[in-house]
Amino acid sequence: MERDHRVEYDVFEVFIQKTQADHHVHVGSVVAPSPDVALTTARENFLRREKAVNLWVVPKEAIVATSYDIPGWFAREMDRKYREVGGYSENARLWKMYREKAMKLEDIVRDLNRKPGYADGVNRR
Amino acid sequence: MITDQRHEQFMERIQRGEKIEATDWMPDEYRKLLLKLIHMHAVSEIMGAFPEKEWVPKAPTLKRKLAIMAKVQDEVGHGQLLLRVAEDLAAPLGKTREDLMEDLIEGRVKFHNVFHMESPTWADAGVIGWLVDGAAIINQAALLSTSYGPYARVLKRICAEESFHMQHGENIILALAGGSKEQRRMLQEAVNRWWESLIFFFGPVEVTDAARRMIDYRIRTKTNEELRQQFLKKYVPRIHSLGLTIPDPNLRYDEESEKWIFTEPDWKKFGEIVRYNQGPKSQERLKLRRFAHEDQRWVREAMVRSQKMQVV
Ligand SMILES: [Fe+2]
Ligand SMILES: [Fe+2]
Repeated sequence: MERDHRVEYDVFEVFIQKTQADHHVHVGSVVAPSPDVALTTARENFLRREKAVNLWVVPKEAIVATSYDIPGWFAREMDRKYREVGGYSENARLWKMYREKAMKLEDIVRDLNRKPGYADGVNRR
Repeated sequence: MITDQRHEQFMERIQRGEKIEATDWMPDEYRKLLLKLIHMHAVSEIMGAFPEKEWVPKAPTLKRKLAIMAKVQDEVGHGQLLLRVAEDLAAPLGKTREDLMEDLIEGRVKFHNVFHMESPTWADAGVIGWLVDGAAIINQAALLSTSYGPYARVLKRICAEESFHMQHGENIILALAGGSKEQRRMLQEAVNRWWESLIFFFGPVEVTDAARRMIDYRIRTKTNEELRQQFLKKYVPRIHSLGLTIPDPNLRYDEESEKWIFTEPDWKKFGEIVRYNQGPKSQERLKLRRFAHEDQRWVREAMVRSQKMQVV
């Protein structure tokens, strides 16, 4: 009886999508009596300054997660350099032999936004 | 035996700099120390809104009113974020958010001494933002490296907003410092009023057992005195640069020990203010807090009930 007057809200995890080019990102959680109120509370708690285009609130129980107690779950069986850009740093040295520079994705993206006929990342002789 | 081993593994994780999560096993002592710290932090954020909230209707311009309102809202928001962290820690102890809030109005949890004090002039509103938030930021920034993951994450957001509070407070006091004789006098009086509270704010000089344990668990990494010294180092020269004085004749930097020497605050007086809520504004502000909690209970109940009815 003593605890009868207690009001307990549910916990909702909050995900913010900053622009439609971004995924929703978890930012924290709120307690609320309903999903509607959770959305409003989340906006007041997490978006007083930052801009967003969309908000998700997800009941905490709905989240399925790995355990922090099993670090092996994320273990890498071997060196994965071969999957990464950094694993190919020798390219720059090899290109140099041909008097060219290594090219990166960023160069391609940047040049796409420039006038055609002017490629910057590439060495013109 | 199993507990010993678990405890040992736990300490190894802490020493490796790993973060602990809400769902991880943790020693009771760790949970209780953390809960005590975060509970007090959370209710202090909420009570911290009160001295400045008093200035919302009286702010000198519309821009100042909007800004101080935003700050008050931030502080309550910080309270909410921290309560989320605290209630997850409290759950295995059978405590809910409702209990945590009741602890505040029943005087079972302390809030920072500074929020028991009066803020009689607009300069106090400025000095709170400048020096009280300044002191709080040093505390909170030092906690960013805490071993408890959920606390660390929430602190990141809080600190980002505190940097606005800092600019906001500085902007108010800079306007007063560059103002009329009367404004400068008001500012000086506010600094005089707050100084001793600020020195007390960081807590006792000696490292208590609980503080030592918190450092062992890497809940905190710095002692009270280290943080107070940081505060003095950063703020004393700035206060002086405005031509203001500090009401402590013993305050000086000691080259030899590379430390600021200061007059100790009245530990007993402030200790009793926080322990028994007997500061000049404690009861009045707690009464407002109680009103918010109890008179709006029916709203919370109605919302929960209507949701249950929809689900059925
Ligand atoms: Fe805050
Ligand atoms: Fe603040």
